[in-house]
Amino acid sequence: MLETIRSIVSILSYFVLPAILVGFPLYGLIKGVRVYEVFVEGAKEGFEIAVMIIPYLVAILFAIGMFRASGAMDFLVDTLDPVLGWFGIPAEVLPMAIMRPLTGSGSAALVADMVAQYGEDALIVKMVATMFGSTETTFYVIAVYFGAVNIRKTRHAVPAGLFADGVGVIASVYAVRLLFGG
Amino acid sequence: MLNYIWAGLIIFSLVFALSTDVQELSSDRYRNGDALPVTVSFPEEYDADARRQPVTVELDTTAFQAFYPDATTPDPRYEGQLVQTQDGNQIVFGSGTELPQPWQDMRDFYGDETSDPIRAEAQLDAVTGTVAQARLTFEPVHFRKLNDIAAAALNFAETAASLALGLIGVLALVLGLLKIGEEGGLIHSLTRFVQPVLRPLFPELPKDHPAMGTIALNLLANVFGLGNAATPLGIKAMEDLQKENPSEETATNAMVMLLALNTSSVQLVPPVLLIAIMGLQVNELVFSIALATACTTVAGIAGAVFLSRMKRFADSNPMNDSS
Repeated sequence: MLETIRSIVSILSYFVLPAILVGFPLYGLIKGVRVYEVFVEGAKEGFEIAVMIIPYLVAILFAIGMFRASGAMDFLVDTLDPVLGWFGIPAEVLPMAIMRPLTGSGSAALVADMVAQYGEDALIVKMVATMFGSTETTFYVIAVYFGAVNIRKTRHAVPAGLFADGVGVIASVYAVRLLFGG
Repeated sequence: MLNYIWAGLIIFSLVFALSTDVQELSSDRYRNGDALPVTVSFPEEYDADARRQPVTVELDTTAFQAFYPDATTPDPRYEGQLVQTQDGNQIVFGSGTELPQPWQDMRDFYGDETSDPIRAEAQLDAVTGTVAQARLTFEPVHFRKLNDIAAAALNFAETAASLALGLIGVLALVLGLLKIGEEGGLIHSLTRFVQPVLRPLFPELPKDHPAMGTIALNLLANVFGLGNAATPLGIKAMEDLQKENPSEETATNAMVMLLALNTSSVQLVPPVLLIAIMGLQVNELVFSIALATACTTVAGIAGAVFLSRMKRFADSNPMNDSS
Protein backbone atom coordinates (compact mmCIF):
# COMPACT_ATOMS: atom_id res chain seq x y z
CA MET A 1 0.00 0.00 0.00
CA LEU A 2 2.67 2.46 1.07
CA GLU A 3 4.80 1.37 -1.86
CA THR A 4 2.01 2.15 -4.33
CA ILE A 5 1.50 5.63 -2.91
CA ARG A 6 5.23 6.15 -3.06
CA SER A 7 5.50 5.17 -6.73
CA ILE A 8 2.49 7.27 -7.68
CA VAL A 9 4.04 10.28 -5.94
CA SER A 10 7.39 9.80 -7.60
CA ILE A 11 5.81 9.47 -11.05
CA LEU A 12 3.64 12.53 -10.41
CA SER A 13 6.71 14.52 -9.44
CA TYR A 14 8.02 14.12 -12.98
CA PHE A 15 4.90 15.75 -14.34
CA VAL A 16 4.53 18.78 -12.07
CA LEU A 17 7.23 20.91 -13.65
CA PRO A 18 6.40 20.11 -17.28
CA ALA A 19 2.74 20.71 -16.45
CA ILE A 20 3.55 24.20 -15.17
CA LEU A 21 5.99 24.91 -18.02
CA VAL A 22 3.57 23.88 -20.75
CA GLY A 23 0.26 24.27 -18.96
CA PHE A 24 0.56 27.99 -18.19
CA PRO A 25 1.34 29.20 -21.74
CA LEU A 26 -1.21 26.77 -23.19
CA TYR A 27 -3.91 27.97 -20.81
CA GLY A 28 -2.98 31.56 -21.57
CA LEU A 29 -3.17 30.89 -25.29
CA ILE A 30 -6.65 29.43 -24.95
CA LYS A 31 -7.73 32.43 -22.90
CA GLY A 32 -6.45 34.79 -25.55
CA VAL A 33 -3.45 36.14 -23.63
CA ARG A 34 -0.57 37.54 -25.72
CA VAL A 35 1.62 34.88 -24.15
CA TYR A 36 5.07 35.89 -25.37
CA GLU A 37 4.66 39.56 -24.56
CA VAL A 38 3.21 38.88 -21.13
CA PHE A 39 5.91 36.33 -20.33
CA VAL A 40 8.68 38.80 -21.07
CA GLU A 41 6.96 41.46 -19.03
CA GLY A 42 6.80 39.17 -16.00
CA ALA A 43 10.31 37.80 -16.49
CA LYS A 44 11.79 41.31 -16.35
CA GLU A 45 11.32 41.29 -12.61
CA GLY A 46 13.67 38.34 -12.16
CA PHE A 47 16.79 40.43 -12.32
CA GLU A 48 15.58 43.13 -9.94
CA ILE A 49 14.53 40.60 -7.34
CA ALA A 50 17.82 38.72 -7.51
CA VAL A 51 19.75 41.95 -7.03
CA MET A 52 17.46 42.98 -4.19
CA ILE A 53 18.22 39.73 -2.37
CA ILE A 54 22.00 40.23 -2.44
CA PRO A 55 22.43 42.47 0.65
CA TYR A 56 20.23 40.20 2.75
CA LEU A 57 22.01 37.07 1.65
CA VAL A 58 25.46 38.62 2.14
CA ALA A 59 24.52 39.69 5.68
CA ILE A 60 23.30 36.24 6.66
CA LEU A 61 25.89 34.12 4.89
CA PHE A 62 29.00 36.00 5.93
CA ALA A 63 28.01 35.87 9.60
CA ILE A 64 27.31 32.15 9.34
CA GLY A 65 30.54 31.57 7.42
CA MET A 66 32.57 33.32 10.12
CA PHE A 67 30.79 31.37 12.82
CA ARG A 68 31.57 28.06 11.14
CA ALA A 69 35.21 28.97 10.53
CA SER A 70 35.76 30.03 14.14
CA GLY A 71 35.18 26.54 15.49
CA ALA A 72 32.31 27.76 17.67
CA MET A 73 30.25 24.90 16.28
CA ASP A 74 32.39 22.39 18.20
CA PHE A 75 31.85 24.34 21.38
CA LEU A 76 28.08 24.35 20.84
CA VAL A 77 28.12 20.61 20.24
CA ASP A 78 29.99 20.06 23.50
CA THR A 79 27.65 22.25 25.55
CA LEU A 80 24.40 21.01 24.05
CA ASP A 81 25.33 17.35 24.18
CA PRO A 82 24.02 16.63 27.72
CA VAL A 83 20.80 18.59 27.06
CA LEU A 84 19.93 16.57 23.98
CA GLY A 85 20.73 13.34 25.80
CA TRP A 86 17.52 13.95 27.75
CA PHE A 87 15.48 13.65 24.57
CA GLY A 88 17.25 10.44 23.65
CA ILE A 89 19.07 12.08 20.77
CA PRO A 90 22.44 10.50 19.94
CA ALA A 91 25.44 12.84 20.15
CA GLU A 92 26.55 12.08 16.58
CA VAL A 93 23.55 13.82 15.03
CA LEU A 94 24.07 17.02 17.02
CA PRO A 95 26.35 18.82 14.52
CA MET A 96 23.65 18.28 11.90
CA ALA A 97 20.96 19.67 14.17
CA ILE A 98 22.95 22.87 14.59
CA MET A 99 24.19 23.10 11.01
CA ARG A 100 20.89 22.45 9.22
CA PRO A 101 19.15 25.80 9.82
CA LEU A 102 22.40 27.69 9.15
CA THR A 103 23.78 26.35 5.88
CA GLY A 104 22.50 24.08 3.16
CA SER A 105 25.84 23.25 1.58
CA GLY A 106 27.46 22.73 4.97
CA SER A 107 24.82 20.32 6.13
CA ALA A 108 24.90 18.44 2.81
CA ALA A 109 28.65 18.01 3.26
CA LEU A 110 28.00 16.74 6.77
CA VAL A 111 25.61 14.06 5.48
CA ALA A 112 28.20 13.04 2.89
CA ASP A 113 30.90 12.84 5.60
CA MET A 114 28.74 10.67 7.80
CA VAL A 115 27.82 8.37 4.90
CA ALA A 116 31.54 7.93 4.26
CA GLN A 117 32.28 7.35 7.93
CA TYR A 118 29.41 5.12 9.05
CA GLY A 119 27.93 3.76 5.79
CA GLU A 120 24.42 4.34 4.39
CA ASP A 121 22.83 1.71 6.59
CA ALA A 122 23.81 3.15 9.97
CA LEU A 123 20.88 4.36 12.03
CA ILE A 124 22.51 7.72 12.78
CA VAL A 125 23.12 8.30 9.06
CA LYS A 126 19.44 7.65 8.39
CA MET A 127 18.64 10.14 11.13
CA VAL A 128 20.77 12.94 9.73
CA ALA A 129 19.54 12.26 6.20
CA THR A 130 15.96 12.46 7.44
CA MET A 131 16.79 15.74 9.16
CA PHE A 132 18.29 17.02 5.95
CA GLY A 133 15.22 16.02 3.98
CA SER A 134 12.59 17.23 6.41
CA THR A 135 13.70 20.79 7.16
CA GLU A 136 15.02 23.72 5.17
CA THR A 137 17.91 26.10 5.67
CA THR A 138 15.86 28.52 7.77
CA PHE A 139 18.21 31.51 7.65
CA TYR A 140 18.71 31.22 3.90
CA VAL A 141 14.97 31.05 3.31
CA ILE A 142 14.42 34.10 5.52
CA ALA A 143 17.10 36.07 3.66
CA VAL A 144 15.79 35.15 0.22
CA TYR A 145 12.05 35.41 0.81
CA PHE A 146 12.08 38.53 2.94
CA GLY A 147 14.94 40.06 0.99
CA ALA A 148 12.91 39.84 -2.22
CA VAL A 149 10.28 42.17 -0.77
CA ASN A 150 12.65 44.29 1.34
CA ILE A 151 11.33 43.12 4.70
CA ARG A 152 13.87 43.89 7.42
CA LYS A 153 11.80 43.49 10.57
CA THR A 154 11.20 39.78 10.61
CA ARG A 155 9.09 39.65 13.82
CA HIS A 156 8.45 36.04 14.87
CA ALA A 157 9.77 34.43 11.68
CA VAL A 158 13.08 33.32 13.23
CA PRO A 159 11.68 31.77 16.41
CA ALA A 160 8.87 30.06 14.45
CA GLY A 161 11.35 28.65 11.94
CA LEU A 162 13.80 27.51 14.60
CA PHE A 163 11.03 25.93 16.61
CA ALA A 164 10.03 23.89 13.54
CA ASP A 165 13.67 22.93 13.06
CA GLY A 166 13.95 21.77 16.66
CA VAL A 167 10.83 19.66 16.31
CA GLY A 168 12.30 18.31 13.05
CA VAL A 169 15.43 17.08 14.83
CA ILE A 170 13.46 15.21 17.46
CA ALA A 171 10.90 13.93 14.94
CA SER A 172 13.66 12.63 12.62
CA VAL A 173 15.32 10.69 15.42
CA TYR A 174 12.07 9.10 16.53
CA ALA A 175 10.75 8.48 13.00
CA VAL A 176 13.92 6.58 12.12
CA ARG A 177 13.79 4.62 15.39
CA LEU A 178 10.15 3.79 14.75
CA LEU A 179 10.61 2.67 11.15
CA PHE A 180 14.01 0.99 11.32
CA GLY A 181 14.16 -0.13 14.95
CA GLY A 182 16.97 0.42 17.41
CA MET B 1 15.43 38.72 17.21
CA LEU B 2 17.39 38.41 13.99
CA ASN B 3 19.45 41.45 15.04
CA TYR B 4 20.62 39.65 18.17
CA ILE B 5 21.27 36.33 16.44
CA TRP B 6 23.21 38.06 13.70
CA ALA B 7 25.35 40.10 16.07
CA GLY B 8 25.74 37.03 18.25
CA LEU B 9 27.12 34.96 15.37
CA ILE B 10 29.71 37.60 14.57
CA ILE B 11 30.77 38.33 18.15
CA PHE B 12 30.92 34.66 19.08
CA SER B 13 33.04 33.83 16.07
CA LEU B 14 35.52 36.51 17.09
CA VAL B 15 35.58 35.31 20.69
CA PHE B 16 36.06 31.68 19.68
CA ALA B 17 38.68 32.42 17.07
CA LEU B 18 40.65 34.50 19.54
CA SER B 19 40.42 32.02 22.36
CA THR B 20 41.53 29.19 20.10
CA ASP B 21 44.44 31.29 18.87
CA VAL B 22 45.54 32.28 22.34
CA GLN B 23 45.34 28.69 23.46
CA GLU B 24 47.37 27.53 20.46
CA LEU B 25 49.99 30.19 21.09
CA SER B 26 50.27 29.43 24.78
CA SER B 27 50.60 25.69 24.16
CA ASP B 28 53.05 26.48 21.34
CA ARG B 29 51.09 24.16 19.07
CA TYR B 30 53.18 24.90 15.98
CA ARG B 31 56.57 25.13 17.71
CA ASN B 32 57.26 28.42 15.93
CA GLY B 33 60.96 28.81 15.32
CA ASP B 34 61.91 25.38 16.70
CA ALA B 35 63.57 22.73 14.53
CA LEU B 36 62.24 19.18 14.15
CA PRO B 37 64.98 16.55 13.63
CA VAL B 38 64.25 14.17 10.74
CA THR B 39 66.10 11.74 8.51
CA VAL B 40 66.22 12.53 4.82
CA SER B 41 67.03 9.82 2.31
CA PHE B 42 67.87 10.33 -1.35
CA PRO B 43 66.91 7.77 -4.02
CA GLU B 44 70.32 8.33 -5.58
CA GLU B 45 73.37 9.90 -4.02
CA TYR B 46 73.01 13.40 -2.53
CA ASP B 47 73.87 15.92 -5.24
CA ALA B 48 75.14 19.18 -3.76
CA ASP B 49 74.72 21.02 -7.08
CA ALA B 50 71.19 19.97 -7.97
CA ARG B 51 68.66 22.74 -7.45
CA ARG B 52 65.84 20.31 -6.98
CA GLN B 53 65.98 16.64 -6.04
CA PRO B 54 63.37 14.15 -4.83
CA VAL B 55 63.74 13.00 -1.24
CA THR B 56 61.98 10.84 1.30
CA VAL B 57 61.55 12.40 4.73
CA GLU B 58 61.52 9.80 7.49
CA LEU B 59 59.82 10.74 10.73
CA ASP B 60 60.32 9.15 14.10
CA THR B 61 56.61 8.94 14.96
CA THR B 62 57.10 9.13 18.74
CA ALA B 63 59.55 12.01 18.45
CA PHE B 64 57.08 13.83 16.17
CA GLN B 65 54.30 13.47 18.69
CA ALA B 66 56.56 14.54 21.50
CA PHE B 67 57.64 17.60 19.50
CA TYR B 68 54.14 18.85 18.62
CA PRO B 69 51.70 19.05 21.58
CA ASP B 70 48.61 17.67 19.83
CA ALA B 71 49.93 15.86 16.81
CA THR B 72 48.13 13.04 15.06
CA THR B 73 50.16 9.91 14.37
CA PRO B 74 52.19 10.60 11.24
CA ASP B 75 53.16 8.08 8.59
CA PRO B 76 56.80 6.98 8.97
CA ARG B 77 57.79 8.55 5.64
CA TYR B 78 56.68 11.34 3.31
CA GLU B 79 57.73 12.06 -0.25
CA GLY B 80 59.05 15.57 -0.83
CA GLN B 81 61.61 17.59 -2.71
CA LEU B 82 64.82 19.20 -1.57
CA VAL B 83 65.15 22.65 -3.13
CA GLN B 84 68.27 24.81 -2.98
CA THR B 85 67.48 28.49 -2.67
CA GLN B 86 69.48 31.61 -1.93
CA ASP B 87 68.47 31.34 1.73
CA GLY B 88 69.57 27.72 2.01
CA ASN B 89 67.87 24.37 1.62
CA GLN B 90 64.15 23.88 1.73
CA ILE B 91 62.06 20.75 1.83
CA VAL B 92 58.79 21.03 -0.07
CA PHE B 93 55.86 18.67 0.43
CA GLY B 94 53.85 18.62 -2.77
CA SER B 95 50.22 19.50 -3.21
CA GLY B 96 49.01 15.90 -3.31
CA THR B 97 50.69 14.75 -0.08
CA GLU B 98 48.47 14.00 2.90
CA LEU B 99 50.08 15.43 6.02
CA PRO B 100 49.60 14.80 9.74
CA GLN B 101 48.34 17.44 12.18
CA PRO B 102 49.47 20.10 12.93
CA TRP B 103 51.18 20.26 9.53
CA GLN B 104 47.83 20.15 7.77
CA ASP B 105 46.60 23.17 9.73
CA MET B 106 49.85 24.97 9.01
CA ARG B 107 49.45 24.28 5.31
CA ASP B 108 45.91 25.76 5.47
CA PHE B 109 47.35 28.82 7.15
CA TYR B 110 50.09 29.45 4.58
CA GLY B 111 48.12 28.74 1.42
CA ASP B 112 44.75 29.51 -0.06
CA GLU B 113 43.89 25.90 -0.73
CA THR B 114 44.06 23.01 1.70
CA SER B 115 46.17 21.14 -0.85
CA ASP B 116 48.82 23.80 -1.47
CA PRO B 117 52.47 22.73 -1.20
CA ILE B 118 54.10 23.42 2.15
CA ARG B 119 57.81 24.22 2.61
CA ALA B 120 60.22 24.17 5.53
CA GLU B 121 63.76 25.42 5.98
CA ALA B 122 66.01 22.37 6.09
CA GLN B 123 69.36 22.40 7.84
CA LEU B 124 71.32 19.40 6.54
CA ASP B 125 73.69 18.18 9.26
CA ALA B 126 75.38 14.92 8.41
CA VAL B 127 75.21 13.69 4.83
CA THR B 128 76.46 10.15 4.28
CA GLY B 129 75.77 8.75 0.82
CA THR B 130 72.02 8.48 0.35
CA VAL B 131 71.03 9.45 3.92
CA ALA B 132 71.21 12.76 5.76
CA GLN B 133 70.24 14.05 9.16
CA ALA B 134 68.27 17.29 8.90
CA ARG B 135 66.38 19.79 11.04
CA LEU B 136 63.14 21.26 9.69
CA THR B 137 61.93 24.71 10.66
CA PHE B 138 58.56 25.90 9.39
CA GLU B 139 57.37 29.45 8.92
CA PRO B 140 55.79 30.61 12.18
CA VAL B 141 51.99 30.36 12.50
CA HIS B 142 50.17 33.10 14.42
CA PHE B 143 46.45 33.72 14.87
CA ARG B 144 45.35 30.99 12.51
CA LYS B 145 41.64 31.14 13.41
CA LEU B 146 41.46 34.91 13.22
CA ASN B 147 42.85 34.63 9.74
CA ASP B 148 40.31 31.90 8.97
CA ILE B 149 37.23 33.85 10.00
CA ALA B 150 38.27 36.89 8.00
CA ALA B 151 38.86 34.70 4.95
CA ALA B 152 35.52 32.96 5.51
CA ALA B 153 33.67 36.27 5.72
CA LEU B 154 35.07 37.44 2.37
CA ASN B 155 34.45 34.06 0.81
CA PHE B 156 30.86 33.81 1.91
CA ALA B 157 30.07 37.35 0.85
CA GLU B 158 31.15 36.33 -2.62
CA THR B 159 29.14 33.10 -2.44
CA ALA B 160 26.06 35.03 -1.35
CA ALA B 161 26.21 37.35 -4.33
CA SER B 162 26.74 34.53 -6.80
CA LEU B 163 23.92 32.52 -5.20
CA ALA B 164 21.55 35.46 -5.60
CA LEU B 165 22.64 36.16 -9.17
CA GLY B 166 22.34 32.44 -9.93
CA LEU B 167 18.64 32.74 -9.19
CA ILE B 168 18.04 35.25 -12.00
CA GLY B 169 17.35 32.73 -14.74
CA VAL B 170 14.91 30.54 -12.90
CA LEU B 171 13.29 33.57 -11.30
CA ALA B 172 12.69 35.15 -14.68
CA LEU B 173 11.30 31.91 -16.08
CA VAL B 174 8.88 31.29 -13.25
CA LEU B 175 7.80 34.92 -12.93
CA GLY B 176 7.14 35.05 -16.67
CA LEU B 177 5.00 31.94 -16.53
CA LEU B 178 3.12 33.20 -13.50
CA LYS B 179 2.36 36.45 -15.29
CA ILE B 180 0.72 34.46 -18.07
CA GLY B 181 -1.17 32.51 -15.41
CA GLU B 182 -2.36 35.74 -13.85
CA GLU B 183 -3.51 37.31 -17.11
CA GLY B 184 -5.24 34.14 -18.19
CA GLY B 185 -7.09 33.87 -14.89
CA LEU B 186 -5.44 30.59 -13.91
CA ILE B 187 -4.14 31.95 -10.60
CA HIS B 188 -7.61 33.26 -9.85
CA SER B 189 -9.27 29.88 -10.35
CA LEU B 190 -6.52 28.20 -8.38
CA THR B 191 -7.10 30.66 -5.56
CA ARG B 192 -10.79 29.85 -5.46
CA PHE B 193 -9.96 26.16 -5.45
CA VAL B 194 -7.43 26.14 -2.59
CA GLN B 195 -9.10 28.88 -0.55
CA PRO B 196 -11.01 26.57 1.81
CA VAL B 197 -7.75 24.91 2.90
CA LEU B 198 -5.42 27.92 2.99
CA ARG B 199 -7.77 30.62 4.26
CA PRO B 200 -7.61 29.47 7.92
CA LEU B 201 -3.80 29.78 7.80
CA PHE B 202 -3.92 33.28 6.33
CA PRO B 203 -6.92 34.90 8.03
CA GLU B 204 -5.64 38.41 7.34
CA LEU B 205 -5.85 37.99 3.58
CA PRO B 206 -8.99 39.32 1.85
CA LYS B 207 -11.21 36.73 0.19
CA ASP B 208 -10.13 35.60 -3.29
CA HIS B 209 -6.70 37.19 -2.94
CA PRO B 210 -4.34 35.93 -5.69
CA ALA B 211 -1.56 35.31 -3.12
CA MET B 212 -3.44 32.16 -2.15
CA GLY B 213 -2.92 30.80 -5.66
CA THR B 214 0.82 31.45 -5.72
CA ILE B 215 1.18 30.10 -2.19
CA ALA B 216 -0.56 26.93 -3.34
CA LEU B 217 1.87 26.60 -6.26
CA ASN B 218 4.82 27.21 -3.94
CA LEU B 219 3.66 24.51 -1.55
CA LEU B 220 2.97 22.14 -4.45
CA ALA B 221 6.52 22.59 -5.73
CA ASN B 222 7.81 21.92 -2.21
CA VAL B 223 5.76 18.76 -1.85
CA PHE B 224 7.25 17.36 -5.04
CA GLY B 225 10.79 18.26 -4.06
CA LEU B 226 11.23 20.89 -6.78
CA GLY B 227 13.37 23.24 -4.72
CA ASN B 228 14.48 25.25 -7.77
CA ALA B 229 10.96 26.10 -8.79
CA ALA B 230 9.66 26.44 -5.24
CA THR B 231 11.89 29.40 -4.39
CA PRO B 232 10.72 31.75 -7.18
CA LEU B 233 7.12 30.70 -6.57
CA GLY B 234 7.57 31.51 -2.89
CA ILE B 235 9.12 34.86 -3.75
CA LYS B 236 6.18 35.67 -6.00
CA ALA B 237 3.80 34.71 -3.20
CA MET B 238 5.73 37.02 -0.86
CA GLU B 239 5.33 39.85 -3.35
CA ASP B 240 1.59 39.25 -3.49
CA LEU B 241 1.48 39.33 0.30
CA GLN B 242 3.56 42.50 0.41
CA LYS B 243 0.89 44.26 -1.65
CA GLU B 244 -1.49 43.81 1.29
CA ASN B 245 1.12 44.97 3.80
CA PRO B 246 0.65 48.55 5.03
CA SER B 247 4.30 48.59 6.18
CA GLU B 248 7.33 48.69 3.89
CA GLU B 249 9.71 46.80 6.09
CA THR B 250 7.81 44.81 8.72
CA ALA B 251 6.61 41.28 8.10
CA THR B 252 2.90 40.49 8.44
CA ASN B 253 1.54 37.38 10.11
CA ALA B 254 0.75 35.96 6.68
CA MET B 255 4.37 36.39 5.58
CA VAL B 256 5.70 34.66 8.65
CA MET B 257 3.21 31.85 8.09
CA LEU B 258 4.38 31.42 4.50
CA LEU B 259 7.97 31.40 5.71
CA ALA B 260 7.21 28.82 8.39
CA LEU B 261 5.52 26.61 5.80
CA ASN B 262 8.61 26.89 3.61
CA THR B 263 11.27 26.31 6.25
CA SER B 264 9.42 23.28 7.52
CA SER B 265 8.74 22.30 3.89
CA VAL B 266 6.17 19.57 3.41
CA GLN B 267 7.94 17.06 1.22
CA LEU B 268 6.97 13.78 -0.34
CA VAL B 269 9.93 13.56 -2.71
CA PRO B 270 13.38 13.82 -1.13
CA PRO B 271 15.49 16.78 -2.28
CA VAL B 272 17.74 16.16 -5.28
CA LEU B 273 20.87 16.88 -3.24
CA LEU B 274 20.05 14.08 -0.80
CA ILE B 275 19.53 11.66 -3.69
CA ALA B 276 22.94 12.67 -5.01
CA ILE B 277 24.59 11.94 -1.67
CA MET B 278 22.75 8.82 -0.58
CA GLY B 279 21.94 7.18 -3.92
CA LEU B 280 19.15 4.58 -4.00
CA GLN B 281 19.28 4.32 -0.23
CA VAL B 282 17.02 7.37 -0.19
CA ASN B 283 14.06 5.19 -1.14
CA GLU B 284 14.08 3.73 2.35
CA LEU B 285 14.02 7.16 3.88
CA VAL B 286 10.98 8.49 2.06
CA PHE B 287 8.66 7.47 4.86
CA SER B 288 10.79 8.72 7.71
CA ILE B 289 11.18 12.03 5.88
CA ALA B 290 7.44 12.25 5.25
CA LEU B 291 6.76 11.52 8.92
CA ALA B 292 9.30 14.05 10.20
CA THR B 293 8.22 16.69 7.72
CA ALA B 294 4.60 16.30 8.78
CA CYS B 295 5.72 17.02 12.36
CA THR B 296 7.77 20.05 11.36
CA THR B 297 4.94 21.47 9.29
CA VAL B 298 2.50 21.18 12.16
CA ALA B 299 5.14 22.69 14.46
CA GLY B 300 5.81 25.52 12.00
CA ILE B 301 2.13 26.40 11.68
CA ALA B 302 1.56 26.13 15.44
CA GLY B 303 4.69 28.17 16.14
CA ALA B 304 3.69 30.91 13.71
CA VAL B 305 0.15 31.10 15.12
CA PHE B 306 1.08 31.08 18.79
CA LEU B 307 4.00 33.45 18.48
CA SER B 308 1.86 35.92 16.55
CA ARG B 309 -0.42 36.08 19.59
CA MET B 310 2.38 36.81 22.04
CA LYS B 311 2.11 40.39 23.19
CA ARG B 312 5.47 41.42 21.80
CA PHE B 313 4.77 40.18 18.29
CA ALA B 314 1.08 41.08 18.33
CA ASP B 315 2.04 44.70 19.08
CA SER B 316 4.43 44.87 16.16
CA ASN B 317 1.88 43.57 13.65
CA PRO B 318 1.79 46.13 10.80
CA MET B 319 -1.88 45.25 10.24
CA ASN B 320 -2.72 46.97 13.56
CA ASP B 321 -2.41 50.44 12.07
CA SER B 322 -4.63 49.87 9.08
CA SER B 323 -7.67 48.60 10.99
